[in-house]
Amino acid sequence: MCDLKRTLDATGHCVLEMPSGTGKTVSLLSLIVSYQQFFPTKRKLIYCSRTVPEIEKALAELKRLMAYRVSTAETEEQREKEKNFMGLGLTSRKNLCIHPEVSKEKKGKVVDARCRDLTNAATVNRARENPGSVDVCSFHENLADIEGGQLIPPGVWTLADVLQYGRDHGTCPYFTVRRMMPFVDVVIYSFHYLLDPKVAEQVSKDMSKDSIVVFDEAHNIDNVCLESLSIDLTRPMLDSAARSVNKLADQIDEIKKTDASKLQDEYAKLVEGLQEAAADEDTFMSNPVLPEDLLTEAVPGNIRKAEHFVAFLKRFVEYLKTRMRVLHVVAETPLSFLQHLKDITYIERRPLRFCAERLQSLVRTLELSRLDEYNSLQKVAGFATLVSTYEKGFLLILEPFETENATVPNPIFHFACLDPAIAIKPVFERFSSVVITSGTISPLDMYPKMLQFTPVVQETYAMTLTRNAFLPLVITRGSDQVAISSRFEVRNDPAVVRNFGSILVEYSKIVPDGVVAFFPSYLYMESIVAAWNDMGILNEVWKHKLIFVETPDANETSIALENYRRACDNGRGAVLLSVARGKVSEGIDFDHNYGRAVIMFGVPYQYTENRILKARLEYLRDAYRIRESEFLGFDAIRNAAQCVGRALRGKTDWGLMVFADKHATDGKLQRFARADKRAKLPRWINQYITETAANLSTDMALTVSKLFMRTISQNAGENLTGVSLWTLEDVEKAQSAQRAAEAEEQAKAEAERAAAGGGGDDEMDEDEDEYYGDGGLSDRALAEMEV
Amino acid sequence: MSTLCSARAKFKKLQGLLELTDTHLQWTQDGKKAPMLSVPHSDAAALFSSKESSPQVKLRVSVYGDDDGHTFNFTSARPVAVAEREAFKTELTNIISRNRTVREKSVLKPPVSATPIAPVSNGAVARAPLPVSRPSTSRAASVSSDARTPGTPSSDPAHDFRLRKKVLVKTPELAALHRELVMTGQITESEFWEGREHLLLAQAAAETQKKGRPGQLVDPRPQAVEGGEVKIVITPQLVHDIFEEFPVVAKAYDENVPGKLSEAEFWKRYFQSKLFHSHRASIRSTATQHVVKDDAIFDKYLEKPDDQLEPRRQRESNVDLFIDLEATYEDHEETGNEKDFTMQAGKQRGALPLIRKFNEHSERLLKTSMYGSPAKRRRVESADSSDPWNHYAQLDLDDLHDPDTSPGIILDMQDRQRYFEGRAAGASAEEVPRPAVDLRVALQEAKRDLEGWSADLAQLKIERKAGDTALTSMTANVAARLDVNKRKNDIPEDIFRQMRTCQTAANEFLRQFWSSIYPPATDLQTLATPATPQQKAAKATRMVGYLSKTPEKVNAIVIAAHAAGVDRQKVEIGMKPILDAVDKALSFWRTRKPPANRP
Repeated sequence: MCDLKRTLDATGHCVLEMPSGTGKTVSLLSLIVSYQQFFPTKRKLIYCSRTVPEIEKALAELKRLMAYRVSTAETEEQREKEKNFMGLGLTSRKNLCIHPEVSKEKKGKVVDARCRDLTNAATVNRARENPGSVDVCSFHENLADIEGGQLIPPGVWTLADVLQYGRDHGTCPYFTVRRMMPFVDVVIYSFHYLLDPKVAEQVSKDMSKDSIVVFDEAHNIDNVCLESLSIDLTRPMLDSAARSVNKLADQIDEIKKTDASKLQDEYAKLVEGLQEAAADEDTFMSNPVLPEDLLTEAVPGNIRKAEHFVAFLKRFVEYLKTRMRVLHVVAETPLSFLQHLKDITYIERRPLRFCAERLQSLVRTLELSRLDEYNSLQKVAGFATLVSTYEKGFLLILEPFETENATVPNPIFHFACLDPAIAIKPVFERFSSVVITSGTISPLDMYPKMLQFTPVVQETYAMTLTRNAFLPLVITRGSDQVAISSRFEVRNDPAVVRNFGSILVEYSKIVPDGVVAFFPSYLYMESIVAAWNDMGILNEVWKHKLIFVETPDANETSIALENYRRACDNGRGAVLLSVARGKVSEGIDFDHNYGRAVIMFGVPYQYTENRILKARLEYLRDAYRIRESEFLGFDAIRNAAQCVGRALRGKTDWGLMVFADKHATDGKLQRFARADKRAKLPRWINQYITETAANLSTDMALTVSKLFMRTISQNAGENLTGVSLWTLEDVEKAQSAQRAAEAEEQAKAEAERAAAGGGGDDEMDEDEDEYYGDGGLSDRALAEMEV
Repeated sequence: MSTLCSARAKFKKLQGLLELTDTHLQWTQDGKKAPMLSVPHSDAAALFSSKESSPQVKLRVSVYGDDDGHTFNFTSARPVAVAEREAFKTELTNIISRNRTVREKSVLKPPVSATPIAPVSNGAVARAPLPVSRPSTSRAASVSSDARTPGTPSSDPAHDFRLRKKVLVKTPELAALHRELVMTGQITESEFWEGREHLLLAQAAAETQKKGRPGQLVDPRPQAVEGGEVKIVITPQLVHDIFEEFPVVAKAYDENVPGKLSEAEFWKRYFQSKLFHSHRASIRSTATQHVVKDDAIFDKYLEKPDDQLEPRRQRESNVDLFIDLEATYEDHEETGNEKDFTMQAGKQRGALPLIRKFNEHSERLLKTSMYGSPAKRRRVESADSSDPWNHYAQLDLDDLHDPDTSPGIILDMQDRQRYFEGRAAGASAEEVPRPAVDLRVALQEAKRDLEGWSADLAQLKIERKAGDTALTSMTANVAARLDVNKRKNDIPEDIFRQMRTCQTAANEFLRQFWSSIYPPATDLQTLATPATPQQKAAKATRMVGYLSKTPEKVNAIVIAAHAAGVDRQKVEIGMKPILDAVDKALSFWRTRKPPANRP
């Protein structure tokens, strides 16, 4: 917490690794909130999390924190201040819609489009002038009557709360949150809203520079950065884009007949190079490139006229289609792509850069509805803009076949961003304090290297436990002494499959309640589940536990997950099979009885034959001197640690962590059993792996696990106090010791000392019980010795 | 309870049905519902049958404790009867041989004099014979206390008896003790069980606990029979499971049987149909499909495999926001490159229906175990937006709470009011003579006492002799232990067993003795009326009688041991604790012999 304070004071960035399940979120929130409340400048907190469940959790924690702060406020004035503190969470229209029809839509894109149709400025104006002529959303309309900034009473609102408030008052929750954004003290949303330029442009443009940005669960932040600047095109998309272009042409013809002035106006505007200042909510698609790379000049002449632009798009789509016919893999830089494009179609780079912007303007002029149908065209335009804007750190890859041995072509044109630093750069530049934190970001220097920033503070914290609440085990051999490995060559070997199966069976026999098993990939999980079933292994598991499996459909998986939890609650016990980088592994906690054991079947390495990954590795090596194997290992381990870390929450919780994989023979892929690999695990896990537990066979591991469970199931030691839980006195004692040390070292530590006092107060008030020294214990020990 | 075999048979010259179920051998008289005779498997001791040539086909089953046993006369036509008897014989032989091994392993030879307790005819209260030395209390009282035997909520003696028996069967040690004491009539049945109610309760609880459904998937695997044919055995349970698992089969059954197809025909065709193969929980089912021939009836019911990325059956997405994965999915537009093919879910089309089947099967099992109670969706509802505070339970780290102090047990005291009044009065009475302590003086005094403590400590010398003795005693201790370890355990098995028996018996007597002396534990969930003081006194006297005989028995063993060439001392040392305990009990008895009014 002191480190965090230092970061905030120094207005710099920091990287913190805190073990999962130790109250990371609430510690961060409580310090930042007291910081905000203490200083009159009121820096805004932008708290980014990964998933909606995590956003909701963070909001709930914040709400509780504020309830506590209100209850302990010293003066009436302060209490008022605490009560006026506002915190909101933002998510998509799909998640926040309460319109009776629109919210029924399955796809987020459709919800977005329908919502826009009902709420855009043009529609609303028309409805005002001539009520009843067009459909509008009453929930949205109701908001217009309320003064801005008063849309919702002050306080902290979780997503569920906002929805309920909207239902109660007949107002639209989505626009409530959107319009309240400038007024709130804390806003919580997902990474994309800050990193993805398409979204950030709409949502996060107005955030003040001195805001504090926190990226929680940030171990995957580099992937989010890459995703936000990458784009894929497939042949069906191009077909659909071509259709959309034709439709646009029809629309233009029509509007020419009815209302030609509109197009004229637009043309005039574009000549002047006016950036249109439309109401931000109406923007359906903003530029896919980062703000600083935007061109602030007028749109070039050859695409100013609507029909010219449409023809231009048509040509471009046709060109892409012809490229797709190639039957061998092509990898090229954006520059060479543009050169080829120019040679064939005479499309210049400059107009291409304006593609997205021009399309946006056209669509607005035409007042199109159901924009979701134009989605593919938008993608193509975004692709055009991106490809013509960036040169370095990007690569174009055309893959005609999905897999090596596929015969039916299914071409995909990847435009891949290889450098995560590009997308996050504006964030680091714009905001003064950026905190990156997670349970698993070892090794710490990797992130600053990859994201190209210099942290003020870079720290990893260990976990203090009164007892070894978790037992990491590495199983390297089956009971039959066959080495087990998830390497591609051997993973489908029946012996390995059977050994993996027997691990699952044995653990489902001895572990109470929930067991979570992670596989390195969907493909592997699906094939191994089928193989297990045919081998009769799952029949053994059925005897002891129910089986739930992650499916491709998110909703289906949620239901399976809910049933899994119910089975754990009612004592039936269940096994959940899921994938290490999949949907379940992110943001779902398997605390307490929901996950008494986590089994990793193999190290979740990425598929190394993937061309994008290869390109990325090459880029990392060339640009940042990160070796391929180093990155792969780092990436696999952070995912593995993340999976096993899900099982632990709080210090009374306990769980087994089983890594099943042997170390590979070739030097490139190192496995868990290697000491150097283990060193990459976060410190809080690593410190509990003993040399003996690092190389076990299945039966040995079972014995160890049984022993562990027997001891851990005993009554939790009452004497947590003083070891892992500090009373106020302990904190003060530690602080005074620290202070003394600091005073000796230097005198300038004054600011920090005050901070330590300020921050500590809020946190360490959980218990007021007396502190028992170890005197009593040693007495007992003495007595026992006599016996 | 499934019947292994059954046959018409006469028993005690009455016509009836003899059945062998998986727990009992039972015989039911014609026209009656409840079996008149039922012998648990564990009681079958031996089997005798009439000669092949003899006119009557007879089978005699003797039970433990009753060598005469029960004779059944098979009454079917001769060849059938013989076949039936053979069936019984094979089954029973297995059971008996199992029984023998079990008994021989754990139990002493049953005393010859033991009265039969095993065969229970329905309705009759089965009880061990009343001991000779039964206390001369009023008959009515004793009956009531016997009937309402401790430990079981139901006062049904037959039920009680069954429970006890099960407990005994389960714990051979207890069974041995029971045989030793109760069957020899030294203590009564109810006395024996007094203080062991928890065993009965546990047994009763274990029995009443309903077994859930087994979790396995319904996947009838055909057994291969010679000649290239396959065979699937259809049991009613399997049919039920299939109908539940695949409603479409139930539907087909409904519509076609017995109209278009006979039952047997139905199943035969079902197992050959594509429908069955699509129901097989196997990824290979799709591969076999082209081998299987078309079936006009069943193919109508065939559904396309549910192998699309999105499930065919969309379900309401009313999940807790904390685990709602779809919300994340819909949180922002998808961006970025497609994942590589290993990370794309659902690439293995064939596995998808299987995975869905797992999830659905698990859900179904879960639902049956919850009996569709409203509590089923409690978690979800409570997590509804109306009550967000419930989410905190999931956020809470329970280790940050103060450790709960247990509320303690309230001292339930009679006349509490009076007690406190009395104390208050006493205290106020005491208050007066107590001299007021001047705190300051006391403090100074204490301080003075403590002055120079460090010097005192320095002067402290540990007496050399004491230290030496402590050390020597420790050494002796270690040496003794070493000695014991070194010496071999050379007591012959026979003597050792005698010692053990003697010891357990004496222990039981002691237990009975002390439990009759001391007030009973009241919190035991027992309905038994506590014995009256007279009963208790009588019992205690009886126990003293037994106890006083213990030294004799020990002596006998010692002599026997000596005869067998074992060191007397060793046996004596072994038996010393029990003798001491007996002495203690006896001396206690002697001292309080003049009957005190209240214990």
